Amino acid sequence: MKALFNTGRTVAQGQGLEVKARPEYMEATSICMMNPVDLMDLDLEEGERVLVRGPAGEVVLTTVQNEGIPRGTVYVPMGPYANAVVDTETHATGMPDFKSCIVDLEPTDDEVKSQTELMEAVGGLAYRGDEE
Amino acid sequence: MIHEDMICPFCGCLCDDLVIETKGTEVVRVDNACTLGSHKLMNAGKHRLKGPIMRDSGQWRDASYEEAIEYAAGILLDADRPLLYGWSSTQGEAQGTGVSMAELLGGVIDSTTSVCHGPSILAIQEVGHPGCTLGQVKNRADLIVYWGCNPTEAHPRHMSRYTTYADGYFLENAFRDRKLILVDVRKTETASIADEFVQVKPGGDYAVLSALRAIVRGREDVVPPTVAGVTKEQLLRVAALCKEAKFGALFFGVGLTMSPGKYKNVRNAIELVDELNRHTKFTLTPLRGHYNVYGSNEVFTWMTGYPYAVDFSRQIAFYNPGETTAVDLMARKECDAALIVASDPGAHFPKKCLEHLASIPTVLIDPMHTMTTPLVKCQIPTAVTGMDAPGTAYRMDGVPIHVKKFLDLGYPTDTEIIGKIFEKVKEVRHP
Repeated sequence: MKALFNTGRTVAQGQGLEVKARPEYMEATSICMMNPVDLMDLDLEEGERVLVRGPAGEVVLTTVQNEGIPRGTVYVPMGPYANAVVDTETHATGMPDFKSCIVDLEPTDDEVKSQTELMEAVGGLAYRGDEE
Repeated sequence: MIHEDMICPFCGCLCDDLVIETKGTEVVRVDNACTLGSHKLMNAGKHRLKGPIMRDSGQWRDASYEEAIEYAAGILLDADRPLLYGWSSTQGEAQGTGVSMAELLGGVIDSTTSVCHGPSILAIQEVGHPGCTLGQVKNRADLIVYWGCNPTEAHPRHMSRYTTYADGYFLENAFRDRKLILVDVRKTETASIADEFVQVKPGGDYAVLSALRAIVRGREDVVPPTVAGVTKEQLLRVAALCKEAKFGALFFGVGLTMSPGKYKNVRNAIELVDELNRHTKFTLTPLRGHYNVYGSNEVFTWMTGYPYAVDFSRQIAFYNPGETTAVDLMARKECDAALIVASDPGAHFPKKCLEHLASIPTVLIDPMHTMTTPLVKCQIPTAVTGMDAPGTAYRMDGVPIHVKKFLDLGYPTDTEIIGKIFEKVKEVRHP
């Protein structure tokens, strides 16, 4: 299914900003909010996972149903998961298309990656010196 | 210990009425702040890096401040096109030092503005900014328009301090007298309290703004029955509400700056406000995210003439968003070293930028372990401004506010660390 990929703030994403290495932040930002009808069309129950393929890559997210999201659109909290699919094109403004790229959605059983795994996949080195 | 009248260092509202209780070096209670501010203040003391860290043979190791500062100065001096990025969650004093250092290095300095309200500034440079302070809105505005934003989740106290739920000196019954219009592509919680909720089809903001401008100009005859999913009847109602208001205030978020059209959407919003000022008093204010992102624009502008994305490689200040903005520089793999200050591109930049960031020498100045930490070669933790460091921050309406310190955790401030890196740079490159 094709959908317009919209990203932005949520309360849970904002609450997690100071604890980005912790699971709360991963839970807050690795969700895909979508219209219940679209969820039904994909044959998915809320909480099941979806593979999102965008112009710059793909990412697995957990679905959350939200009647306020128009059909044909998904809303993903801003963060490392959303940015795994957003391209760098800025149309000479400096601003990427954080709210207007087109993605392809399909159901998946793959696990949601941790935020550290995402950073390692782009060449980072996980820091674990502060783990309890 | 109780600390009264504290300033919240989270978003551009800079709420100045917080009551914070501390026990020793711990924050145990925060009153008056929203959930975002409370979470920051309750958690920011707990999850700090203990000291600088550096990468060595594929491993992280602890480092001294001296070693980390030496390393930071070294990579900036060795680079042909260093990028100094971030600057929005730090003190104005640190921003100023950053600009001076970028100039001496011949580097590029950009703030998070380029990925939030950069397009708003481009629009303002084209057609001006009909703005006012939030105090004027609170005391006078009888119509509030929120466009492409969701204050309930992104600026949770904006409505209670400055608009819908705030008392107004010149309004008898502010809550009843003040009307609220919300324009958005999705039905958010803010929609449930709006007098008019205008649901625009994604990408349709420019067309809706143009239709409203036509109606305000008396040319409703050119407006078709629906515009981007909005009926003409509703547009007429909205235009009438705007014209009938004694004082209208339009606030907008990144729903305009990140959607197709980007700065042209904002330009159209400003021109709608211009039209409305032929009938009544109307103002426009961007809802700024980071608590001092506006400060970065102020400081950069009074030091260089440009608000963000300033390139000193020509030995004069040069500004060309789309070319000298951080995302574009990283996407083109142009910068060969980076100093990231008080921001988190690891979380908020497209993946391709991060691949480049991870491949070049990069130093991060940030109190916490963030998404950028795994991508850099060295991180230097500093005090959190508004918590264990005082400093200047600019509210979203451009009012500078002295942010206070109420804890001492022994960390140096951003200004001190950047100042020390600058000293090292000056030893090699004399001003």
